[in-house]
Amino acid sequence: MGETLVPGAKDAGVTYFVDQQISIPPQEALLEARIMNVKPPFANFYRAALGAIDGASSARYGGRNFAQLAANEQHEFVDLMRQNKLDGWKGAAASFVYFLLRSDAVDVVYGTMDGYAHLGVPYQPHIAPTRSW
Amino acid sequence: MANNDKVDAVIVGAGASGSVFAAVLAKAGKKVVLLEAGPDWQLDDLISSDIWGRRIKPAGSPFLLEGKNPYGYVYQAGWGTGGAALHYFANFPRLLPNDFKVKSTYGKGLDWPIDYADIAPYWDKVADDVGVSGDAKAEEIWRPAGKPYPMPPMRTFPGGDAWKKGFDALGMRLTPAAVGINSTKFKGRPACIYDGWCHVGCPIGALSNPLVTYLAEARQAGAEVRPYATVTRVLTSADGAKATAVEYYDANKQKQVQEASVVVLAAWSAQNPRLMLNSATDKHPNGLANSSGLVGKYLTAHFASGTSALFDEDLQPYMGTIAAQYFSYDLYDKNAHKDNGAFGSTFMVAGTAQRYSALGGVANARLDLFGAELAAFMKRAARGYTRLNAFAEEMPVIDNRIELATDKDEFGMPLGKIIHSFNDEAVALFNANFDRGLQIAKATGAKEAWPNKGPMPTIHLMGGTIMGKTAGDAVTNSFGQTHEIANLWIAGPGIFPTSGAPNPTYTILALSLRGAEQLAKNWGSVAD
Repeated sequence: MGETLVPGAKDAGVTYFVDQQISIPPQEALLEARIMNVKPPFANFYRAALGAIDGASSARYGGRNFAQLAANEQHEFVDLMRQNKLDGWKGAAASFVYFLLRSDAVDVVYGTMDGYAHLGVPYQPHIAPTRSW
Repeated sequence: MANNDKVDAVIVGAGASGSVFAAVLAKAGKKVVLLEAGPDWQLDDLISSDIWGRRIKPAGSPFLLEGKNPYGYVYQAGWGTGGAALHYFANFPRLLPNDFKVKSTYGKGLDWPIDYADIAPYWDKVADDVGVSGDAKAEEIWRPAGKPYPMPPMRTFPGGDAWKKGFDALGMRLTPAAVGINSTKFKGRPACIYDGWCHVGCPIGALSNPLVTYLAEARQAGAEVRPYATVTRVLTSADGAKATAVEYYDANKQKQVQEASVVVLAAWSAQNPRLMLNSATDKHPNGLANSSGLVGKYLTAHFASGTSALFDEDLQPYMGTIAAQYFSYDLYDKNAHKDNGAFGSTFMVAGTAQRYSALGGVANARLDLFGAELAAFMKRAARGYTRLNAFAEEMPVIDNRIELATDKDEFGMPLGKIIHSFNDEAVALFNANFDRGLQIAKATGAKEAWPNKGPMPTIHLMGGTIMGKTAGDAVTNSFGQTHEIANLWIAGPGIFPTSGAPNPTYTILALSLRGAEQLAKNWGSVAD
């Protein structure tokens, strides 16, 4: 899902980012979920989101979960997801899940010193982060 | 449970307003303790990163959010010393004279018990205290004259200057923004270097966060800060006439009581009423200072209509501050958008430094894009993107409120529930400001312009413990002293009866200074 949302997210470590962040106390977490008023523990949000995505994917694509879809199908699915147009979606609004998962992918691709360098803009930190997250 | 030696004043919350009260009272020789629910942040904790910057905000939602437009607060709330003012944008606009008698003038909302002229000297004092850069004379096209700011306006960059061209083309006025950031060296603090990382905390002290202004002064004068101290109740005397202490849980989650002659509630606008409601006794069955039933009522939020513009030219959008380069009160008349069914003031800011990720980042300027299309947009926007924001005013209604929920937190205190909905006039104002923003953007000559339309945001939280003339129509007087308990004071935007449209911190500081000086001056008749 991360790579479909933002090219480069997989190599930038979006899976590790989320996995690590949901394993630490919520007051230390650096996820956008924190900012968007998601109630901790944040793992609950991601667990429910994965279930909703695979449930809606299976319903639409003959029993195949999201990871089993072809790239063009994944793109179509995400486009429907962001517009709340998926039948059988369960839990938090699909558009909100899209927003947060996209934000995680944006974080690792564009929110780091490497990300700024990739965009060709100076990062100019007062205090540079010693690691991306 | 441990009892601590009685102090003169216990202040709940070490953010913008609590720091002002602490500084004034400590400098007046009072023994002051600040109880802060979060960490005691230091300047070198303030890492320049949108990802790491989330550390200085609350963790998730201890407040339950309900209503048509649930109040999403974590982005703008504080946690730890400095509070929300540790990561605020430091825009320093003031309210205008038409903000103070809205009900009398228009038959809507509420009146303040004071006028512009009552606060004006304190805006000037705060400017001299913390350092404000701007052009006061230029602003006087919209407001009464006051003192010049202690520093000249900040530098501008192409991303801000582009909007000036659009305003000029439409005959609208845009002046240098007043900001709480140093354009020159000020009181030993350095000038800003325009790297755009203000919103995750300025570690060089060029931006006037409390760690380098009032909280530093308070500490220097002997005030004690106790971090990780979560207050759950204000205790009162048997006859209910006086506040006597606050009950809190310390960093080891042990219950403590801090007795004090004066209690100042300076937590954020939702937490103060939560504490007051949770402090009910037989003498105050509906919560402290709440015979009016208004504790927790008349919450207001700002909302913003953002307009994006994309240029082929290099605008250096990564340069500047997160505060505005320019601002405008040209749409501040409450009826400026009357033809659209809207009511309320609009305050516009232009030319903030852009970050590329996170909630306010460039990637979210096109939320519809993902995949290759997003990557292509980001490449184009990296140097060509700029934004105009129109902040607007929501009228206070009694149904927008804080209540205690049945669920409890880890200390057994009922969670707060924030119930918030925008009315039709606010929605109309939100939409009208998109139309105007797009008109301005097109006049800039941008290659592309679009409204950043999404769910209606809730920005800043005001009200909940409003000021007014009597105990029947308000919780506090204009100084923040509760009408019913003379030594219980409220500080912060919770005492605003109406919100106006500008960023509130400058007014929070001014009202807190006014209140704290009043308290210090009348200490003998107030303190228990």
